[in-house]
Amino acid sequence: MSYTARIDAGACAAHGDCEDVAPEIFAIEGDVAVVIGDGPDDLWLEAARVCPSVAIAILDATGRQVYP
Amino acid sequence: MSRGIVIAGGGLAAQRCAETLRRAGYDGRLRMICAERHRPYDRPPLSKGALAAADGDASLGFRAPAWYADKQVELLLGASAAGLDAMRREVLLADGTNVAYDELLIATGSRPLLPAAMRGLRNVSTLRTLDDARTLRAAFAAGGPLVVVGAGFIGQEVAAAARRAGVPVTLVEALPAPLAPLLGEAMGAWFGDLHSAHDVQVVLGRRVVGLEGAERAEAVLLDDGRRLPCAHVLVGIGVAPDTGWTAGNGLGDRGVRADESGRTAVDHVFAAGDAAATFDPVVMAFLPGSHWEAAARQGAAAARAMLGLDATASHRASFWSDLYDVRLQYIGHAALADHVRIDGDLGARDFSVTYSRGGSPVAVLLANRPQELPNARALLAT
Repeated sequence: MSYTARIDAGACAAHGDCEDVAPEIFAIEGDVAVVIGDGPDDLWLEAARVCPSVAIAILDATGRQVYP
Repeated sequence: MSRGIVIAGGGLAAQRCAETLRRAGYDGRLRMICAERHRPYDRPPLSKGALAAADGDASLGFRAPAWYADKQVELLLGASAAGLDAMRREVLLADGTNVAYDELLIATGSRPLLPAAMRGLRNVSTLRTLDDARTLRAAFAAGGPLVVVGAGFIGQEVAAAARRAGVPVTLVEALPAPLAPLLGEAMGAWFGDLHSAHDVQVVLGRRVVGLEGAERAEAVLLDDGRRLPCAHVLVGIGVAPDTGWTAGNGLGDRGVRADESGRTAVDHVFAAGDAAATFDPVVMAFLPGSHWEAAARQGAAAARAMLGLDATASHRASFWSDLYDVRLQYIGHAALADHVRIDGDLGARDFSVTYSRGGSPVAVLLANRPQELPNARALLAT
Protein backbone atom coordinates (compact mmCIF):
# COMPACT_ATOMS: atom_id res chain seq x y z
CA MET A 1 0.00 0.00 0.00
CA SER A 2 0.98 3.59 -0.31
CA TYR A 3 1.12 4.88 3.27
CA THR A 4 4.03 5.07 5.64
CA ALA A 5 4.33 6.36 9.20
CA ARG A 6 6.68 8.71 10.94
CA ILE A 7 6.71 7.96 14.66
CA ASP A 8 7.76 10.70 17.03
CA ALA A 9 9.79 8.69 19.54
CA GLY A 10 9.78 11.61 21.93
CA ALA A 11 6.00 11.75 21.94
CA CYS A 12 5.31 8.00 21.91
CA ALA A 13 4.58 6.75 25.41
CA ALA A 14 4.22 3.11 24.34
CA HIS A 15 0.52 2.96 25.12
CA GLY A 16 0.24 0.17 22.55
CA ASP A 17 -3.06 1.24 21.04
CA CYS A 18 -1.56 1.23 17.52
CA GLU A 19 -0.42 -2.35 18.05
CA ASP A 20 -3.90 -3.30 19.25
CA VAL A 21 -5.56 -1.85 16.18
CA ALA A 22 -2.98 -2.84 13.58
CA PRO A 23 -0.68 -5.58 14.90
CA GLU A 24 0.52 -6.34 11.39
CA ILE A 25 1.82 -2.77 11.03
CA PHE A 26 2.88 -1.59 14.48
CA ALA A 27 4.56 -3.13 17.49
CA ILE A 28 5.87 -1.79 20.78
CA GLU A 29 9.55 -2.54 21.08
CA GLY A 30 10.99 -1.47 24.40
CA ASP A 31 9.61 2.00 25.06
CA VAL A 32 8.52 3.01 21.62
CA ALA A 33 6.24 2.00 18.75
CA VAL A 34 7.89 0.85 15.53
CA VAL A 35 6.63 -0.09 12.09
CA ILE A 36 6.99 -3.80 11.48
CA GLY A 37 4.87 -4.35 8.38
CA ASP A 38 2.24 -3.03 6.05
CA GLY A 39 -1.52 -2.98 5.63
CA PRO A 40 -4.43 -1.17 3.99
CA ASP A 41 -4.41 2.64 4.07
CA ASP A 42 -7.47 2.72 6.32
CA LEU A 43 -5.66 0.63 8.91
CA TRP A 44 -2.63 2.94 8.94
CA LEU A 45 -4.95 5.87 9.51
CA GLU A 46 -7.00 4.10 12.17
CA ALA A 47 -3.87 3.16 14.11
CA ALA A 48 -2.63 6.75 13.99
CA ARG A 49 -6.02 8.12 15.06
CA VAL A 50 -6.21 5.93 18.15
CA CYS A 51 -2.74 7.00 19.32
CA PRO A 52 -3.48 8.91 22.55
CA SER A 53 -0.18 10.78 22.26
CA VAL A 54 -0.71 11.77 18.61
CA ALA A 55 2.78 10.39 18.03
CA ILE A 56 2.11 8.83 14.62
CA ALA A 57 2.11 10.94 11.46
CA ILE A 58 0.88 9.19 8.32
CA LEU A 59 2.51 10.07 5.00
CA ASP A 60 1.27 9.19 1.54
CA ALA A 61 3.43 7.90 -1.32
CA THR A 62 4.53 11.44 -2.19
CA GLY A 63 5.65 12.11 1.39
CA ARG A 64 2.71 14.43 2.09
CA GLN A 65 1.41 14.30 5.67
CA VAL A 66 -2.18 13.02 5.61
CA TYR A 67 -2.54 12.69 9.40
CA PRO A 68 -2.71 14.47 11.79
CA MET B 1 0.27 -16.35 48.15
CA SER B 2 3.15 -14.01 47.35
CA ARG B 3 2.89 -10.28 47.90
CA GLY B 4 4.04 -9.14 44.49
CA ILE B 5 3.55 -5.67 43.12
CA VAL B 6 0.60 -3.61 44.27
CA ILE B 7 -0.62 -0.55 42.39
CA ALA B 8 -2.80 1.77 44.44
CA GLY B 9 -4.98 3.54 41.90
CA GLY B 10 -6.92 2.78 38.75
CA GLY B 11 -6.15 5.70 36.49
CA LEU B 12 -3.72 6.26 33.65
CA ALA B 13 -0.46 6.07 35.61
CA ALA B 14 -1.65 2.89 37.30
CA GLN B 15 -2.69 1.27 34.03
CA ARG B 16 0.53 2.20 32.27
CA CYS B 17 2.54 0.78 35.15
CA ALA B 18 0.67 -2.54 34.93
CA GLU B 19 1.10 -2.73 31.17
CA THR B 20 4.78 -1.90 31.31
CA LEU B 21 5.42 -4.47 34.04
CA ARG B 22 3.91 -7.24 31.95
CA ARG B 23 5.53 -6.03 28.75
CA ALA B 24 8.92 -5.99 30.46
CA GLY B 25 8.47 -9.58 31.55
CA TYR B 26 7.38 -9.30 35.17
CA ASP B 27 5.37 -12.48 35.78
CA GLY B 28 4.73 -12.22 39.51
CA ARG B 29 1.54 -11.31 41.29
CA LEU B 30 0.09 -7.94 40.25
CA ARG B 31 -2.84 -6.23 41.93
CA MET B 32 -4.52 -2.89 41.30
CA ILE B 33 -6.49 -1.20 44.07
CA CYS B 34 -9.22 0.72 42.22
CA ALA B 35 -11.39 2.95 44.37
CA GLU B 36 -14.12 3.07 41.75
CA ARG B 37 -16.40 0.23 40.72
CA HIS B 38 -15.23 0.62 37.13
CA ARG B 39 -12.19 -1.04 35.63
CA PRO B 40 -9.41 1.46 34.74
CA TYR B 41 -10.59 4.03 32.23
CA ASP B 42 -9.45 7.23 30.54
CA ARG B 43 -10.53 10.46 32.24
CA PRO B 44 -10.08 13.25 29.65
CA PRO B 45 -13.23 12.24 27.70
CA LEU B 46 -15.33 12.67 30.86
CA SER B 47 -15.46 16.43 30.34
CA LYS B 48 -15.80 16.12 26.56
CA GLY B 49 -17.65 13.44 24.60
CA ALA B 50 -18.84 11.52 27.66
CA LEU B 51 -21.02 14.46 28.64
CA ALA B 52 -22.79 14.32 25.31
CA ALA B 53 -23.70 10.66 25.14
CA ALA B 54 -23.93 7.74 27.56
CA ASP B 55 -23.32 5.15 24.86
CA GLY B 56 -19.58 5.73 24.90
CA ASP B 57 -19.07 4.87 28.56
CA ALA B 58 -18.05 1.30 27.86
CA SER B 59 -15.34 2.42 25.44
CA LEU B 60 -13.65 4.61 28.05
CA GLY B 61 -11.91 1.56 29.53
CA PHE B 62 -8.22 1.34 28.68
CA ARG B 63 -8.48 -2.41 28.06
CA ALA B 64 -11.24 -4.94 27.77
CA PRO B 65 -11.94 -7.17 30.80
CA ALA B 66 -10.23 -10.04 28.96
CA TRP B 67 -6.95 -8.14 28.98
CA TYR B 68 -6.79 -8.20 32.78
CA ALA B 69 -7.55 -11.93 32.79
CA ASP B 70 -4.96 -12.65 30.09
CA LYS B 71 -2.28 -10.61 31.83
CA GLN B 72 -3.25 -11.92 35.27
CA VAL B 73 -3.78 -8.45 36.65
CA GLU B 74 -6.06 -8.66 39.69
CA LEU B 75 -8.44 -5.71 39.89
CA LEU B 76 -9.65 -4.89 43.39
CA LEU B 77 -12.63 -2.80 42.30
CA GLY B 78 -14.36 -0.55 44.80
CA ALA B 79 -11.41 -0.93 47.17
CA SER B 80 -10.14 2.31 48.57
CA ALA B 81 -6.67 2.70 50.06
CA ALA B 82 -7.09 4.18 53.53
CA GLY B 83 -3.66 3.83 55.10
CA LEU B 84 -0.06 2.84 54.47
CA ASP B 85 2.36 1.04 56.78
CA ALA B 86 5.61 1.26 54.85
CA MET B 87 7.52 -0.56 57.60
CA ARG B 88 5.33 -3.66 57.27
CA ARG B 89 4.83 -3.03 53.57
CA GLU B 90 1.06 -3.07 53.77
CA VAL B 91 -1.72 -0.95 52.35
CA LEU B 92 -4.75 -0.72 54.61
CA LEU B 93 -8.06 -0.71 52.77
CA ALA B 94 -11.17 1.18 53.87
CA ASP B 95 -12.90 -2.13 54.65
CA GLY B 96 -10.21 -2.95 57.21
CA THR B 97 -8.28 -5.55 55.21
CA ASN B 98 -4.57 -5.31 54.43
CA VAL B 99 -2.84 -5.70 51.09
CA ALA B 100 0.82 -6.64 51.53
CA TYR B 101 3.32 -5.74 48.82
CA ASP B 102 6.90 -6.30 47.74
CA GLU B 103 6.79 -3.08 45.67
CA LEU B 104 4.08 -0.42 45.78
CA LEU B 105 3.08 2.24 43.28
CA ILE B 106 1.12 5.15 44.70
CA ALA B 107 -1.06 6.32 41.82
CA THR B 108 -4.25 7.44 43.50
CA GLY B 109 -4.37 10.64 41.48
CA SER B 110 -6.02 13.79 42.67
CA ARG B 111 -9.42 14.89 43.86
CA PRO B 112 -11.27 18.07 42.94
CA LEU B 113 -11.28 20.91 45.43
CA LEU B 114 -14.64 21.83 46.86
CA PRO B 115 -14.82 24.70 49.36
CA ALA B 116 -16.51 23.84 52.65
CA ALA B 117 -19.32 26.32 51.99
CA MET B 118 -20.27 24.38 48.85
CA ARG B 119 -20.38 20.90 50.36
CA GLY B 120 -23.43 18.89 51.29
CA LEU B 121 -25.76 20.25 48.62
CA ARG B 122 -27.32 17.70 46.29
CA ASN B 123 -27.01 19.72 43.10
CA VAL B 124 -23.44 20.91 43.56
CA SER B 125 -20.83 18.61 42.03
CA THR B 126 -17.29 18.30 40.74
CA LEU B 127 -16.02 16.28 37.78
CA ARG B 128 -13.36 13.64 38.16
CA THR B 129 -14.98 10.25 37.79
CA LEU B 130 -17.34 8.46 35.44
CA ASP B 131 -20.03 8.64 38.12
CA ASP B 132 -19.49 12.41 38.27
CA ALA B 133 -19.98 12.60 34.50
CA ARG B 134 -23.22 10.65 34.83
CA THR B 135 -24.42 13.09 37.47
CA LEU B 136 -23.71 15.98 35.11
CA ARG B 137 -25.43 14.27 32.21
CA ALA B 138 -28.53 13.91 34.33
CA ALA B 139 -28.31 17.59 35.25
CA PHE B 140 -28.06 18.50 31.54
CA ALA B 141 -31.09 16.34 30.81
CA ALA B 142 -33.04 18.18 33.52
CA GLY B 143 -32.45 21.38 31.60
CA GLY B 144 -30.55 23.81 33.79
CA PRO B 145 -29.70 26.59 34.30
CA LEU B 146 -26.16 25.48 35.04
CA VAL B 147 -23.63 27.62 36.86
CA VAL B 148 -20.00 26.62 36.32
CA VAL B 149 -17.59 27.93 38.93
CA GLY B 150 -14.06 28.18 37.56
CA ALA B 151 -13.02 28.64 33.93
CA GLY B 152 -10.08 26.26 33.82
CA PHE B 153 -10.22 23.57 31.18
CA ILE B 154 -12.68 21.37 33.08
CA GLY B 155 -15.08 24.27 33.63
CA GLN B 156 -14.77 25.44 30.05
CA GLU B 157 -15.33 21.98 28.62
CA VAL B 158 -18.38 21.45 30.81
CA ALA B 159 -19.77 24.83 29.74
CA ALA B 160 -19.27 23.92 26.07
CA ALA B 161 -20.85 20.49 26.52
CA ALA B 162 -23.81 22.03 28.35
CA ARG B 163 -24.40 24.52 25.56
CA ARG B 164 -24.26 21.70 23.04
CA ALA B 165 -27.01 20.03 25.07
CA GLY B 166 -29.02 23.26 24.96
CA VAL B 167 -28.57 24.05 28.65
CA PRO B 168 -28.33 27.72 29.71
CA VAL B 169 -24.90 28.27 31.28
CA THR B 170 -23.21 30.93 33.38
CA LEU B 171 -19.43 30.59 33.66
CA VAL B 172 -17.92 32.36 36.68
CA GLU B 173 -14.18 33.01 36.90
CA ALA B 174 -12.27 34.96 39.54
CA LEU B 175 -9.50 35.90 37.11
CA PRO B 176 -10.02 38.80 34.67
CA ALA B 177 -9.59 36.31 31.79
CA PRO B 178 -9.71 32.49 31.70
CA LEU B 179 -6.30 30.80 31.89
CA ALA B 180 -4.52 34.15 31.57
CA PRO B 181 -1.67 33.23 33.97
CA LEU B 182 -0.93 30.18 31.84
CA LEU B 183 -1.63 31.30 28.28
CA GLY B 184 -1.51 35.09 28.43
CA GLU B 185 -4.15 37.79 28.41
CA ALA B 186 -4.78 37.78 24.65
CA MET B 187 -5.59 34.08 24.69
CA GLY B 188 -7.54 34.44 27.92
CA ALA B 189 -9.75 37.04 26.25
CA TRP B 190 -10.15 34.74 23.25
CA PHE B 191 -11.45 31.93 25.48
CA GLY B 192 -13.93 34.30 27.11
CA ASP B 193 -15.16 35.48 23.70
CA LEU B 194 -15.47 31.90 22.45
CA HIS B 195 -17.96 31.09 25.20
CA SER B 196 -19.84 34.37 24.81
CA ALA B 197 -20.25 33.59 21.11
CA HIS B 198 -21.97 30.35 22.13
CA ASP B 199 -24.39 32.17 24.42
CA VAL B 200 -22.63 31.36 27.67
CA GLN B 201 -23.06 34.15 30.18
CA VAL B 202 -19.39 34.77 31.04
CA VAL B 203 -18.71 36.49 34.37
CA LEU B 204 -15.04 37.41 34.84
CA GLY B 205 -13.17 38.87 37.79
CA ARG B 206 -15.89 37.83 40.24
CA ARG B 207 -15.78 35.49 43.19
CA VAL B 208 -18.45 33.24 44.60
CA VAL B 209 -19.27 34.36 48.13
CA GLY B 210 -21.96 31.82 48.92
CA LEU B 211 -24.76 29.57 47.83
CA GLU B 212 -28.41 30.18 48.59
CA GLY B 213 -30.43 27.17 49.65
CA ALA B 214 -30.56 24.41 52.25
CA GLU B 215 -30.44 20.93 50.74
CA ARG B 216 -30.18 22.25 47.22
CA ALA B 217 -28.41 25.32 45.90
CA GLU B 218 -31.08 27.66 44.53
CA ALA B 219 -28.67 30.41 43.50
CA VAL B 220 -24.97 31.28 43.41
CA LEU B 221 -24.09 34.57 45.08
CA LEU B 222 -21.25 36.72 43.72
CA ASP B 223 -19.07 39.34 45.37
CA ASP B 224 -20.71 42.15 43.38
CA GLY B 225 -24.11 41.25 44.85
CA ARG B 226 -25.31 39.37 41.81
CA ARG B 227 -27.52 36.32 42.30
CA LEU B 228 -27.33 33.59 39.68
CA PRO B 229 -30.28 31.15 39.86
CA CYS B 230 -29.18 27.56 39.31
CA ALA B 231 -30.56 24.08 38.83
CA HIS B 232 -27.04 22.65 39.10
CA VAL B 233 -23.59 23.96 40.05
CA LEU B 234 -20.38 22.46 38.68
CA VAL B 235 -17.26 23.47 40.59
CA GLY B 236 -13.96 23.27 38.69
CA ILE B 237 -11.45 25.26 40.70
CA GLY B 238 -8.56 22.83 40.77
CA VAL B 239 -7.41 19.58 42.32
CA ALA B 240 -5.25 18.35 45.17
CA PRO B 241 -3.25 15.09 45.27
CA ASP B 242 -5.31 12.25 46.75
CA THR B 243 -2.53 11.03 49.01
CA GLY B 244 -3.88 11.68 52.50
CA TRP B 245 -3.96 7.90 53.04
CA THR B 246 -0.15 7.75 52.84
CA ALA B 247 0.35 10.18 55.75
CA GLY B 248 2.78 9.29 58.50
CA ASN B 249 5.39 7.67 56.26
CA GLY B 250 7.53 10.70 55.46
CA LEU B 251 6.52 10.73 51.80
CA GLY B 252 5.55 14.42 51.54
CA ASP B 253 2.33 16.22 52.35
CA ARG B 254 1.38 17.81 49.03
CA GLY B 255 1.70 14.81 46.79
CA VAL B 256 4.22 12.02 47.28
CA ARG B 257 7.68 13.31 46.48
CA ALA B 258 9.26 11.26 43.73
CA ASP B 259 12.21 11.47 41.36
CA GLU B 260 11.96 11.08 37.60
CA SER B 261 11.92 7.30 37.92
CA GLY B 262 9.09 7.43 40.46
CA ARG B 263 11.27 6.51 43.46
CA THR B 264 10.24 8.04 46.78
CA ALA B 265 12.17 8.55 50.01
CA VAL B 266 10.93 5.14 51.21
CA ASP B 267 12.25 1.82 49.90
CA HIS B 268 9.84 -0.23 47.78
CA VAL B 269 7.45 2.71 47.44
CA PHE B 270 7.05 4.49 44.08
CA ALA B 271 4.68 7.23 42.97
CA ALA B 272 3.36 8.39 39.60
CA GLY B 273 0.76 10.65 38.05
CA ASP B 274 -1.20 13.34 39.85
CA ALA B 275 -0.40 11.74 43.22
CA ALA B 276 3.33 12.27 42.65
CA ALA B 277 5.12 15.56 43.29
CA THR B 278 8.17 15.79 41.08
CA PHE B 279 10.84 18.44 41.16
CA ASP B 280 10.18 21.27 38.73
CA PRO B 281 13.52 22.85 37.80
CA VAL B 282 11.79 26.02 36.60
CA VAL B 283 10.09 26.98 39.84
CA MET B 284 12.62 25.08 41.99
CA ALA B 285 9.96 23.22 43.96
CA PHE B 286 8.21 19.87 44.12
CA LEU B 287 4.88 20.20 42.31
CA PRO B 288 2.09 17.65 42.06
CA GLY B 289 1.40 16.33 38.58
CA SER B 290 -1.56 17.37 36.51
CA HIS B 291 -0.82 16.21 33.00
CA TRP B 292 -2.12 13.19 31.20
CA GLU B 293 1.04 12.53 29.21
CA ALA B 294 3.28 12.91 32.28
CA ALA B 295 1.11 10.45 34.18
CA ALA B 296 1.49 7.88 31.42
CA ARG B 297 5.25 8.27 31.30
CA GLN B 298 5.69 8.24 35.06
CA GLY B 299 3.63 5.07 35.42
CA ALA B 300 5.77 3.35 32.81
CA ALA B 301 9.01 4.68 34.32
CA ALA B 302 8.05 3.46 37.80
CA ALA B 303 7.37 -0.01 36.41
CA ARG B 304 10.83 -0.13 34.90
CA ALA B 305 12.44 1.19 38.07
CA MET B 306 10.68 -1.51 40.12
CA LEU B 307 12.26 -4.11 37.87
CA GLY B 308 15.70 -2.53 38.09
CA LEU B 309 15.63 -1.29 34.49
CA ASP B 310 16.61 2.16 33.23
CA ALA B 311 13.80 4.58 33.92
CA THR B 312 13.30 8.27 33.47
CA ALA B 313 10.14 10.12 32.58
CA SER B 314 10.36 13.49 30.90
CA HIS B 315 7.87 15.92 32.32
CA ARG B 316 6.99 17.81 29.20
CA ALA B 317 3.58 19.32 29.67
CA SER B 318 0.90 18.74 27.07
CA PHE B 319 -2.84 18.74 26.92
CA TRP B 320 -5.68 18.89 24.49
CA SER B 321 -9.19 20.20 24.73
CA ASP B 322 -12.36 20.28 22.67
CA LEU B 323 -14.50 23.42 22.99
CA TYR B 324 -17.46 23.64 20.60
CA ASP B 325 -15.91 23.23 17.14
CA VAL B 326 -12.36 23.98 18.28
CA ARG B 327 -9.70 21.34 18.86
CA LEU B 328 -6.97 22.83 21.06
CA GLN B 329 -3.59 21.20 21.47
CA TYR B 330 -0.86 22.52 23.70
CA ILE B 331 2.69 21.49 24.48
CA GLY B 332 5.39 23.11 26.58
CA HIS B 333 5.50 25.64 29.41
CA ALA B 334 3.91 28.89 28.27
CA ALA B 335 4.07 30.44 31.74
CA LEU B 336 7.81 30.93 31.14
CA ALA B 337 7.29 33.06 28.06
CA ASP B 338 8.35 36.67 27.55
CA HIS B 339 6.98 36.83 24.01
CA VAL B 340 3.80 35.60 22.33
CA ARG B 341 3.32 35.32 18.59
CA ILE B 342 -0.05 34.52 17.07
CA ASP B 343 -0.22 33.20 13.49
CA GLY B 344 -3.56 32.77 11.77
CA ASP B 345 -7.02 34.03 12.41
CA LEU B 346 -8.35 34.23 15.97
CA GLY B 347 -11.85 35.07 14.75
CA ALA B 348 -11.91 32.05 12.44
CA ARG B 349 -10.60 29.84 15.28
CA ASP B 350 -7.75 28.69 13.08
CA PHE B 351 -4.41 29.73 14.53
CA SER B 352 -1.21 28.77 16.28
CA VAL B 353 0.37 30.58 19.20
CA THR B 354 4.11 30.33 19.79
CA TYR B 355 5.37 31.28 23.23
CA SER B 356 9.06 32.08 23.52
CA ARG B 357 11.56 33.13 26.11
CA GLY B 358 14.76 34.90 25.19
CA GLY B 359 14.03 34.12 21.53
CA SER B 360 13.64 30.35 22.07
CA PRO B 361 10.23 28.68 21.77
CA VAL B 362 8.95 27.24 25.07
CA ALA B 363 5.35 26.35 24.22
CA VAL B 364 2.92 26.06 21.33
CA LEU B 365 -0.88 26.24 21.38
CA LEU B 366 -2.75 25.08 18.28
CA ALA B 367 -6.40 25.80 17.49
CA ASN B 368 -7.83 23.56 14.77
CA ARG B 369 -4.36 22.92 13.38
CA PRO B 370 -3.64 19.31 14.34
CA GLN B 371 -1.46 18.90 11.28
CA GLU B 372 1.07 21.28 12.81
CA LEU B 373 1.56 19.22 15.96
CA PRO B 374 4.56 17.19 14.71
CA ASN B 375 6.33 20.40 13.65
CA ALA B 376 5.50 22.07 16.94
CA ARG B 377 7.06 19.19 18.84
CA ALA B 378 10.16 19.39 16.68
CA LEU B 379 10.34 23.15 17.29
CA LEU B 380 10.34 22.68 21.07
CA ALA B 381 12.78 19.79 20.98
CA THR B 382 15.52 21.87 19.35
